[in-house]
Amino acid sequence: MTLLSSPLHDRHAALGAKFAAFGGWDMPLEYAGGGVLKEHAAVREEVGIFDVSHLGKARVKGAGAADFVNSCLTNDLARIGPGKAQYTLCCEDATGGVVDDIIAYLYGDDHVFLIPNAANTAEVVRRLQAAALNGLTITNEHRDFAVLAVQGPRSTELLAQLGLPTEHEYMSFETARLDDIELTVCRTGYTGEHGYELVVPSDHAGRVWDALFGAGVEARACGLGARDTLRTEMGYPLHGQDLSLDITPVQARAGWAVGWKKPGFWGREALLKEKADGPRRMLWGLVANDRGIPRAHMEVFRGDERVGEITSGTFSPTRKVGIALALLDTAAGLGEGDQVEVDVRGRRAGMTVTKPPFVTPSVK
Amino acid sequence: MKIPDELRFTAEHEWVAEPSGGVVRVGITDFAQDALGDIVYVQLPEVGAQVTAGDSFGEVESTKSVSEIYAPLSGEITAVNQAVVDSPETINSDPYGAGWLVEIRLTDPEAVGSLLDSDGYSQLTK
Repeated sequence: MTLLSSPLHDRHAALGAKFAAFGGWDMPLEYAGGGVLKEHAAVREEVGIFDVSHLGKARVKGAGAADFVNSCLTNDLARIGPGKAQYTLCCEDATGGVVDDIIAYLYGDDHVFLIPNAANTAEVVRRLQAAALNGLTITNEHRDFAVLAVQGPRSTELLAQLGLPTEHEYMSFETARLDDIELTVCRTGYTGEHGYELVVPSDHAGRVWDALFGAGVEARACGLGARDTLRTEMGYPLHGQDLSLDITPVQARAGWAVGWKKPGFWGREALLKEKADGPRRMLWGLVANDRGIPRAHMEVFRGDERVGEITSGTFSPTRKVGIALALLDTAAGLGEGDQVEVDVRGRRAGMTVTKPPFVTPSVK
Repeated sequence: MKIPDELRFTAEHEWVAEPSGGVVRVGITDFAQDALGDIVYVQLPEVGAQVTAGDSFGEVESTKSVSEIYAPLSGEITAVNQAVVDSPETINSDPYGAGWLVEIRLTDPEAVGSLLDSDGYSQLTK
């Protein structure tokens, strides 16, 4: 399979990026002179810029667009107004398993813009198209836009230098101009820091990237390696690991992103039943007591009893310890502060059960 | 990518220094540290442990992956670099110097001659 590449690919190569395949895209993993730890620290302490153009883009337009999206995806668009964004889920109707997690940008009753994950965009678009009513158009705009994430405590200062809007609240967006380029400045991100995501027409991505690095605020280019350690510290799920067709939002503690009182959305019956019965497993955080780094798919034990499986694990650069998200069996009755052991390549590593996040977020 | 002429190498990206009194110092190469990325955890054997050429005797783990370290030659561990256990990033910053891992008293000091020289290793990393 041929990997897709970002419109900024040449710029990453010039910066000495190491590339990795992610969701069918060839994206920067880390940069020469950087590395995961430095890039992670830049976002926590200063400001980092990520090319996340692999993220999907899809648009639903026409009379009743917002109502239609609201009848499919889990979260309740009625909770937000135009100009606001919302984390939501596309679930499998029969099981409540997660097809994808998505940010929905509400422009108005007749216009919703969606940012699904790279690998799931085509499937989300297909499902929406199959369900669409007459008069609605659902278009896959995956390659039409680049997405640049500017994240960290100095992100506001950086965007202000370019005259871009910065005062809008968390999970809202504004249309703006950089010279003659029209772009959308969203107060969103996947790092837990105060930050922005710029949705830019692909043809102009290079000019916007150059402007961000020329704004007079020292920023570090950051790759998907740091994006993963940053999001794991926040306990943000990654679809394909912590959310999947086999993992429901009830199990993944994403029930806050479900509009339970809505009359209908995909997966409603299955999820209501699971919520009422109690899920058979729940997502918890684990923090290593000693050295040793938990990784996805490692098994979790209490004594000889297998009590769960890790879905994401890494070294926390902020806390300097191994951290993990794990699905633990409800029947084991585990809770905050309980001790478990993780099978790390044949050795047992002691870990403490906790509730994510592992690091206090400062998104607002 | 640095490949010092005075060292010997394995195909698994370890380096071995010139023996001194039958003891060699061992580490991982610049190529290996670069491929791993930021190293955050190192596990090494105890002093006195016997190691066998080709067998795993430790691990280096980065933020994104883990790699086993293989004994380049057989012998007994005579020293372990505690500095890299405490500060694993030393392996990234100085893989052939302060980032050494262990010293091994070789069962057969002549066996060093069986390892790759810098030209041979350089071919492998192209």
